[in-house]
Formats: sequence, C-alpha cells, structure tokens
Amino acid sequence: MDFTEPANWTRIRREAKEFVAAHVTRDVIENERRTGDGVDRALTRKLGERGWIASGWPVAEGGAGLDPFETAALWDALRKGGVPTAGPGTTMLPANAIRATGSEELKARVLPGVAAGEVLICLGYTEPAGGSDVFACATRSQRDGDEWIINGQKIFTTFAHLADYCFLLTRSQPGSAGPRGLTMLLVPLDSPGVEIQAVHTMGHERTNIVFYNDVRVADANRVGEAHEGFAVMRAALEAEQNVAPGSRTAWVANDALEFARTHQGPDGTKLINDTLVRERLARMAMEGEVADLLDLRVALLDTKGDRPGPVSALFGPESYVRASAAAIDIAGTAGMLDWTDPQSAVDGSLEAHYRSAVATTIYGGSSEVLRSLIVENRLGFPRSRPRR
Amino acid sequence: MAGNVTSHGGATALSNVEDVAKIAKEEQVDLGLTREQRAVREAFAALFGKQATPQRVRRAELTGFDQLLWRHYAEIGALGIGVPSDCGGADGGLLELALVAEEAGGRLAPIPVAETAAAARLLGRLREKELLGPVLTGSVIVSLATRPGPVSQQMLVDGAIADAVLALDGESVVYVTRPDGLPKTARRNLGGLPLAPWYHPGATTVLAEGSEARTAFDAAVDEVRVLRAAALVGLASAAVGIGSRYALVREAFGQPIGMYQAVAHPFADAVTALDGAQLLVYKACWAMDSAQDDAAALAAMAFAFAAETSYHATTHSLHVHGGYGFMEEYDIQLYYRRAKAWAAAFADPRRELLTVADRLFGPVTTGGR
Repeated sequence: MDFTEPANWTRIRREAKEFVAAHVTRDVIENERRTGDGVDRALTRKLGERGWIASGWPVAEGGAGLDPFETAALWDALRKGGVPTAGPGTTMLPANAIRATGSEELKARVLPGVAAGEVLICLGYTEPAGGSDVFACATRSQRDGDEWIINGQKIFTTFAHLADYCFLLTRSQPGSAGPRGLTMLLVPLDSPGVEIQAVHTMGHERTNIVFYNDVRVADANRVGEAHEGFAVMRAALEAEQNVAPGSRTAWVANDALEFARTHQGPDGTKLINDTLVRERLARMAMEGEVADLLDLRVALLDTKGDRPGPVSALFGPESYVRASAAAIDIAGTAGMLDWTDPQSAVDGSLEAHYRSAVATTIYGGSSEVLRSLIVENRLGFPRSRPRR
Repeated sequence: MAGNVTSHGGATALSNVEDVAKIAKEEQVDLGLTREQRAVREAFAALFGKQATPQRVRRAELTGFDQLLWRHYAEIGALGIGVPSDCGGADGGLLELALVAEEAGGRLAPIPVAETAAAARLLGRLREKELLGPVLTGSVIVSLATRPGPVSQQMLVDGAIADAVLALDGESVVYVTRPDGLPKTARRNLGGLPLAPWYHPGATTVLAEGSEARTAFDAAVDEVRVLRAAALVGLASAAVGIGSRYALVREAFGQPIGMYQAVAHPFADAVTALDGAQLLVYKACWAMDSAQDDAAALAAMAFAFAAETSYHATTHSLHVHGGYGFMEEYDIQLYYRRAKAWAAAFADPRRELLTVADRLFGPVTTGGR
C-alpha cells in the first residue's frame, strides 16, 4: 500500500498553478463571482490549446493523454485557482458519450471543437417535475423526415446561455415510461424555438430554464440509437463517475483555519487557541481527509471495475455542508461578509462556501438517491424506489 | 514491447521503454493489499471465525480473556508479526497488525490485540530481545500503559491479565511487572475488557531514557490509536452486517423493514463512513511505517473517526432490531457495548480531536479559554 503522491500528479498540479498564475486574473475571478456563468470562453480556449479540456483524450484527438488521476489533479488545481470549470467540465460528459456512441460524422463535426475549447455542451436532463428522477422525462421528440421536432422544458441547464449545444434527453416513443423510449439529441442552442431564461441561485451560480417549442434538429445530431437513449445516458453517467469529484471539504477546512489564525473571539482570545474552535477545525480536517481518500479510491477502483457504490459522492458533499456551516459558526459576522465588502475575511470564502455547499448534495444525485444505491450495491437491500 | 522497437537505435529505445514502464509502475498509488497481506487477513479471519464464536465471547465477558484463543493466536505467530526479524519476529509493518486487529474486532475476539502488539514493537525497537522471547510465544503478556503518569494511577486495559506493562515515567520507558499475588480478575465492565488497576506495581526496570525513549513510546501509543481504530472498523463492519441482514428478514407492516428508507439509509451512512475509516487506518499505517510528516495527525484522526463511526454504526444496527436488540441473546448488543468501550478505554474521541488539532495546527500558544 502506498499513498505517496506520484510525481506526475505533482507535476500536472504545478503546471495548472502556472497556468492559473499566468491567466486567471482578478478580473476573471470577480467576473465569475458576479455572473456565475460557470465558464470563461477565452480561458476555455487557452485550456484547449494545451489539450486540457479533453485532457484524457489522446493528443491526436486534441487531448493531452492524461490518465484519470492526472485529469482529476489538473481540474482540482484549476478549480481551486479560480478557473470557472462548470462549463468545460460539464461539456466533457456529453463529449465522452458522443465519442463512445455517436456517429463518425457527428464525432468529426463536434469533438475537435470541444477539445479545442471552442465548443461547449450543456446537459438537458432535468425537468421541472423530475429532479433526481431523470427518467421521468416528459420532453417529447417526434421524428419528421430527416429531423426531430422537440417540445418541452428543462430546468437547471447550467451555462445554457453560453453553450453551443444541449445534450438533450427526450421521450421519442409516446406512452413509454421510465428508461425506455428515450432518444438523445444534440440540439444547437441557436435553433429557432429555443428560449433560455435565467435562474439565479443562492450560491451565485446562474443556471437556466430552457423551453423547446417545435425546435427542429437534424437526425444527424442524434447520439446513439433512436429510442435507446438509456444506453447513451448510462455511458454518460458512468463517465460522470469517472470524473473524480474533488471534494471541497478540505478546502473550507483550510479557509476556516486561516480565519481562525487571523481573528479573535469575543473574549479577545485568538480563535486558533480556543478549544471549541480547535475541535471543530480538527473535525473539518479529518472529514476533509476522509473525503479525499474516498475520492482517491474512486479514481483507483475505476481501473479495476470494483463497485463500491457512490460513497464518495455521498460523503464529500455531506461533509462539505457540515464544514461550511461550522465555519460560519466559528467566524460569526466577520465570516458572513460578502467578498465585495472591503472588510470581508479570507476573501469572503466562508460566506461563499456556505452559499454553495448545499447544492452539492443535490446536483450529482441527491444524497437520498445515493444512500439507496449504496445499500443496494453494498448490502443487497431491495430497491425502494418504485419500478416503472 | 520489444517487437515494436525498430532497428533504428533499438537498444536505446528499448531501455527507454522499460524505464518508462518502470517509472509508471513506481508512480502508481496503490491502495491494494499484497498477496502476503491478504494471506494474513485470511489466516486470522479463519482463526477468529473458528475460535471467537459468540458463545466463547460471552463466556469471556467476565474475565475479558479467552486463554485457549490466546494460545492459538500465539501459535499462529500473531505476536511476532510486527517485530523485527533479528528479534525473532516477522518484520511486518503496522498495516499487517491492523489487518489482524480488524479481523479480531469483527469477531469481538476476547484477547488483548492492540496494546500487546504495540508493546512488542516497542520492545523490538528498544532491542529487548530477552524480554521479547516469552512475549512472542504468548507465555508472557506485556501490555502498554497508554495514559501519562504513574502506572499505579491508571486503569490498565489489560491489567487483569498482563504480566507486565511498558510505561512512560518522565523521560524513561519502564518495564513494570505485575503486582505479586494480584488475582487475574477483571473489573466488571461495559466492554468485557480485562480492566484492572495495579495499585502496587511490581518491579520497575528502566529500559530506555531521554527524548528518544519518549519518541519511541509516543510512537507506540500512536500505534495503539491506529490498531484500536482498526479493531473498531472490524467491529462496526460486522455489526452492520448483522443489522442489515436482520432488516432484510424482519417484516413490519407487510414488508421487510429494510424497504423503509428511514431504516435503510443510516446503513448507507455507516458503510460510507466505515470505508473512510478503513482508508484512514490504512493511510495512517503507511504514514507511520514510512515516517511521513503527518503520520501522528493521521493516527489520531483514524482513532477519532473510527470511534465515532463505530458508535453510530452499531447504534443503528442495534436499533433496527427493536426490542430484540436489547435482549442478551442477540449478538448485536455485544457489539454495541464494545463499540463504545473499546474506544473510551483508550480516550474520549472528542478529546482526540484536540490531539488532531495539536498535531495539525500546532499547540495552543497562549492560554486557551
């Protein structure tokens, strides 16, 4: 057993930090905080020049030939350095699905642009009434000659307002239910009939509701077989599990520690010397270590095909929420000032963590769904969600 | 691979290819057990599966000790696993011992595992070959007095059965023999532990002095942290197995209670936290054996996290049994009691978080609260 960080991870992290130092200006960071766009197109192109968007793809396909660990280390360092990663990171999920199941023509048309950081693809899975139940899809697609006609509505389509395509889950067989009768379509977002409405969130991330009214999409933009969208979705969801999530628990732990080292409590004592504070900081650090270890194991197990269940996806966000809440408790008013306030501490990060954390227990599959999957995978529990 | 190398500078290219392959292999983080480590785990799983049955565990509740199991444990070579070969041991690391402790925990084996293993390693580090001889055969039980201060003022976790304990007295590591004539009677306690105080310890011999002695003793105490954590991981994993199997057969309102998410989901949290606790134990073993900077912090984290995780996991595993879980006849209560006792016998888990804090953030610089 060996937990030594390999030299190649250290190297890629260093390269990411150099990139951040050269390109992630204060303007980039503040612009993302103000807009919550989740992507900076100019920066994304620069990442593409290095092969870092599709970093796991071969160099010949515009990638950098990194292994899953290097990819995880790279994106973790970029995100911590302030690169808006939601857009490029999300793009890779459908991009990998297209690469695995798309037609040769579609791949040749779309993927080089993705790798270059020119083309962005958002995810159109979730519907207003669906939530974590992605297969409760009601958005309809109807074949009409060489085209499909789409009608419906999706929600939480993050960065749709800046993306080129939406990887859209549609119900192509009327009367079908659940995972059957679905078709995946790559919808150009400048198509007539697409209407995008902004949704602003507590975490300052902007997301969107997207309406599709008689939107026509060429059949050439179908990904995978018609009515077999489930298989494509599954490939994309598995690819999502390959992206080591990179828990933020240790991140907020470090920010809270910095706060405690530089601030005093109500009795004038340095917070870092306060027993109550030390216990909570130690707990944050401990849970951060656990979250990182579970993430590390996900990356390693992928190569072996073991299935530990989504324990890392459960623990990382849940511990992040706990830590972000404890950080506000420790810091009080000084920690709740927004970053725009000249007196904000640790660049307003504690306030920002608390605003962001709770969404992480939802958007990758709610914790409740993950818990059900874990007891099914690991303890042989029966499925408690109704089958369709 | 050689077949792909053209005649164009073939030899050099080949060696480069091999170098690259070698580097790639060296750089691979490895969370797997070696074949030898898996064999250790299997051997002890078999031993405890056969010898640490629930009947035997119950029979040892009052004494805290199963003499027959101890003999088998010694015969299989358990006591020398972590001891250097030039002291008669098998040169194993802390990880091998953690695997043994995990298996022992899973069966609630009524023998002293953690403190005796750490004591044997400490004797090995101090080159005490003579003292180690009877320890390795199991005929002399040497434990560790983990609390600071005189032995006479501690409740010793193995006090009822140990022939000697190693303790830290100031800057000296001392070997303290059992009080003459002290009966091998454990204090009746929550966890079936062989607890007993030694108010009038026997002969005391100084084995080592100075800061190095202190460092060696502190390392032994950290090993106890990790091994107790490993035992708690094994204990709680087994409890989750018992509780979840029960939830799948016990029916209420027309279906197995495991179908109710309020019953099922805490098991998911338990499985998740236990995976984390096990990884923390493994990382702490690796860190201590390879002298990493954060080894001491990881050891304390492993203990604190395993302690609270095993408490929560066994609590839910008992709770799903309803009233039956409260009955002596059901094994789950054996686990529930020990989950708390095995941890608290070493330290208050929340106080251990302050140990984590000292090790990660440095000590408190001026007066605390």
